Amino acid sequence: MFTFLKKDILILIRDRTELAILLGMPFILIAILGFALSGVLSGNTEVLSMEVAVVQEDDEQQGLVRFEEKLADSGMPAPARQGIMASAAESSPASLLQEVLNDEGLKELVVATEMDATSAKAALEEETVVAILTIPENFTFDALQKMIMDEGNGSSLQLMIAEHAATQSEVFHNIVEEFVWSLNFESAIAKAANGENVLPEAGQTQVGGVESVSSVNPINSFQYYTIGMAVMFALFVAATISGMAYVEKTQFVFQRILLSNHHPLVYLGGKAIAATLVTFLQFCILFFLSSLIFGAFDLSEGPFWLGILLITASLALCVGALTALLTAMTMRFGNDTITTVFSGGVVTIFAFLGGSFTPTAGLPAIVQQLGGWTPNGAALNAFLIWVQNLDMGMLFEPLGRIALLTVVLLSLSVMILPRKGEA
Amino acid sequence: MLETEELKKVFKGKTAVEGASLYIDKGESVGLLGPNGAGKSTTISMISTLLKPTAGDVRLNGKSVIKNPAEMRKVLGVVPQEIALYAELSAYENLKFFGRIYGLSGKQLETAIQQALALVGLKERQKEIVKTYSGGMKRRINIAAAMMHEPEVIIMDEPTVGIDPQSRSHILEMVRKLNKEKGLTVLYTSHYMEEVERLCDRVYIMDHGKIIASGTKDELKSILSSEETVLIELDRPYPEFFKELQSLDTIKQASETEKGIKLILPKGSRVLGQVFQASERHQVQIINVNVQTPSLEDVFLHLTGRKLRD
Repeated sequence: MFTFLKKDILILIRDRTELAILLGMPFILIAILGFALSGVLSGNTEVLSMEVAVVQEDDEQQGLVRFEEKLADSGMPAPARQGIMASAAESSPASLLQEVLNDEGLKELVVATEMDATSAKAALEEETVVAILTIPENFTFDALQKMIMDEGNGSSLQLMIAEHAATQSEVFHNIVEEFVWSLNFESAIAKAANGENVLPEAGQTQVGGVESVSSVNPINSFQYYTIGMAVMFALFVAATISGMAYVEKTQFVFQRILLSNHHPLVYLGGKAIAATLVTFLQFCILFFLSSLIFGAFDLSEGPFWLGILLITASLALCVGALTALLTAMTMRFGNDTITTVFSGGVVTIFAFLGGSFTPTAGLPAIVQQLGGWTPNGAALNAFLIWVQNLDMGMLFEPLGRIALLTVVLLSLSVMILPRKGEA
Repeated sequence: MLETEELKKVFKGKTAVEGASLYIDKGESVGLLGPNGAGKSTTISMISTLLKPTAGDVRLNGKSVIKNPAEMRKVLGVVPQEIALYAELSAYENLKFFGRIYGLSGKQLETAIQQALALVGLKERQKEIVKTYSGGMKRRINIAAAMMHEPEVIIMDEPTVGIDPQSRSHILEMVRKLNKEKGLTVLYTSHYMEEVERLCDRVYIMDHGKIIASGTKDELKSILSSEETVLIELDRPYPEFFKELQSLDTIKQASETEKGIKLILPKGSRVLGQVFQASERHQVQIINVNVQTPSLEDVFLHLTGRKLRD
């Protein structure tokens, strides 16, 4: 099998056109997409960073005093009253909002400055802030009264957003909306739980998108497209190596191999291993060059690269299995239509579904699901989980899919490959 | 040594070969002649164990190789019509690969490579990439690749197609030496009758999937022993004159050649007078008349009604 492997690698190295497709093309695309879309991906927060004005009309301490008095009037037993007040003092809505706005992770995105109403309005007009968040008078008292005692009309935050920075002000609007929704939701759960844990604990407020920004490593465009292009062009390796099989068959070389008393499975194995090795090398070269030239990844982080190599190896095996299937089909049907259709159409569709061109998060759920079952899509997910330093348990799903695809593709290729005497 | 018995191959309801029986003795050189589509390549593929026959058998030293092709493959070298080489690799790398897949390694492999290169006269250019070679050089390496494991039997499927006269002559001389000096058993197919006449002891003629004649060159020529060939050289084609000759009962076969007309006549028939009379009627300018004994080409034409390269 080593003889077949060596031969395929040697032929590939000598074929400059194929080398240009497998290595040159993805590198050029990484450069183009990396520079062109550097502001779009979440990793680059500079273009989204904003200053906002916070107008504090509420007196939190006075609100808490009033709420304590209200509790006393309600006839609630003293121990319960004390418990609720302790919790309210620690985690009043106003405090939680301040916490969100001053969150370390969010600081890159939002700089909140406390101003009076007049200064805030002037700042908005001068376009030095993109939004004014007004915490109205009696906010603490009204919010606590509604949340805990279900009395009164509650309170609402007032948000005035600028037109000159639509994207930033929209993002800030979402942050505030997420905060309010989260607060209301947890209060509702607390009520359903008969008043236990009436208020969310400080530091545990779920604020959706803001939370996710603060807990993961952001991805920049060069990182994303290094991964995206590498997983896409890995599929071309399968087309290239199986394309060689077609030439071998039409030029009688395959028959010559059969005449040497080698079982076709040995030949198929050679193709699969050659594709695996080429894919692995292709990834190593692309990641290394992208890190060296575009600074996509830190080359000195040993453990990080270990994970990258592991994911690469699993995808490379899957590409090897895919190559085996394409080779077997080429041998069975005796034409290269399958390989041509695969490289000319299927790879592009897989690349789109798998998120090589653009993240699939904004696409319909069905597209995301389909993409997750493509070898490139599953590998892209695994790489993103690893690069963003997310929960490692999340790696099992994409890597499991890649392993399953590998087994299925290999089994199919063994079933399809013509046996001896049928060449 | 090698024989086929009533070989038959049907592809999608169409019979490509039917009842092909032939034999080759050890050290013999046998030609397989036939026009395009006669079934030669299909027959060769079945003998090579690359294609399962629909019916019939292939035997090597009396043992069937249909179910056990390994025995045949050990002693068989095949030179296909295609250049079955890796164009991106050098001649040396190609031979190394084909030697390795036959289980050769180390010194044994190196010796086999150099012997094969010496055989085809390309030792000096072994490191050059195959795609830079001329057609003739590629054909020679194609033969060398089939010789790497020192086969006892070699099947050559039109090994001189599309090459220059010098390379062709080199290949023919090489095959002759392999057969006569090294005792290699050869099954040779070609479109060139002179190649078969030069190299082969016996000839099988195939047409429409069937073997229609076989024997030594003299035996085959004796099919036409009661006949003679007349070559009439003309200054240009004369269709009406040709039609009239075709209609004469005493002429067994008339065919147009590059330079004029070829007639096959019963020996001693006094038909030339009629030919000259017809030429006068049609104002034909005859340049030369040559009376010959029949060649294998004439036998082929007589048997199939077609020229070999039709």
